[in-house]
Amino acid sequence: MAGPKTAKLSSPPTTTPPETSVAVSMLWESYMQQTPNRLKLIDAFLAFIVLSGVTQFVYCVLVTNFPFNAFLSGFGSSIGQFVLTASLRAQVNPQNRSEFKDVSPERAFADFALGSIVLHFFVFNFLG
Amino acid sequence: MIPRITFHLSWLVIAAGVHAATLSLQSPRVTISSSDATQLLSDTLPSIKRPEPLTLGASDILKLTFQVTENGEGKGVQPHQTFLRFYDSVSGEEGIQPVRVTPGGKAKFELNMARPPASLPPTTDRPLAVSLILGSFVHDPAKYDLFDLYVPTSSTPAPHPDEASFHVLPPIVHTFRPEQKLPPKVVSIVFAALVLSPWAILLGLWGKIGLSVPHLVSPRILPFTALLGAFEVLLVRYWVGLKLGQVLLYGGILAIPTIFAGKTALATTGEWRAGKH
Repeated sequence: MAGPKTAKLSSPPTTTPPETSVAVSMLWESYMQQTPNRLKLIDAFLAFIVLSGVTQFVYCVLVTNFPFNAFLSGFGSSIGQFVLTASLRAQVNPQNRSEFKDVSPERAFADFALGSIVLHFFVFNFLG
Repeated sequence: MIPRITFHLSWLVIAAGVHAATLSLQSPRVTISSSDATQLLSDTLPSIKRPEPLTLGASDILKLTFQVTENGEGKGVQPHQTFLRFYDSVSGEEGIQPVRVTPGGKAKFELNMARPPASLPPTTDRPLAVSLILGSFVHDPAKYDLFDLYVPTSSTPAPHPDEASFHVLPPIVHTFRPEQKLPPKVVSIVFAALVLSPWAILLGLWGKIGLSVPHLVSPRILPFTALLGAFEVLLVRYWVGLKLGQVLLYGGILAIPTIFAGKTALATTGEWRAGKH
């Protein structure tokens, strides 16, 4: 029972890396070609938020959480802004038009702006 | 007129005479008997010399009889106030016991040590000085030091149930957690650069994608953007020093033009989008 399994498991590594790399590169190409520039802007912003939140979390884990309120507000603002931006992206994506028939991109942006202001109010409130 | 004046004068003279009258003690007598009624001591108190101290046993009964008279004559009077005072000159404790005097001036006081009165002060092995105080509206007050009295030592009083709460409490000692420390400056700087580095990535990506804002300075868009910026400035001011009420007030004021500017700006972009499509 154990023999064939290990044999099966040992064989894929030789073939998988090219397959996954091919899949990833194909995904990347199609993303670069088919995604509108506006969505790419939003995606860049999302990546920025993720990196920013991760570095803050790493700092909290590795060094100190000393001004804990500052960490909470910084990390919370990353999360909140990510959620707001992701929902903006979902609503302005032309491919999702069927799901958000009543929500125009302008309406989505107004929601995003309002939500961001409320979020920043709480963030600055916690910042101390 | 003249008879009237003499009448008044006579009253004054009488009043003065009455006031001058003094009270005195007649035949003060002290008796000590034990609980089985055997008389241990019976003595007339000398009026001038202080007698030898008397000793009272744990279950003995002391009887004191006397008559209050006016000016040392036989006619008894009833003073308005009559007290026996028991005084410990060392501890300063004293007890005042009112004595009942008949209209004829006769008085009888009984001190039963088996059931001591509450007015008896706490006693030690020292004697109590017993004195008689007489007060009257029409006579001069009088005080007689009768005798010294040894009384059995009183037991220590039982502590009051609330007694414990009248002591000084031990001082309260607060223990605080040690102050949290900031990391070394180098670490702070490195991580500040790390946390800020995504900005460079963001700007690089946006530059690569080609961020263009052709309508940013358009008069229909600019007010909205500026007002959103004003909101952020307000929130930063809140962090720096504004109070919550002020922020809410200014934010409420700022919200009104922002709503209109936003409507105009987004309606404009909507039109452009419709025109494009």
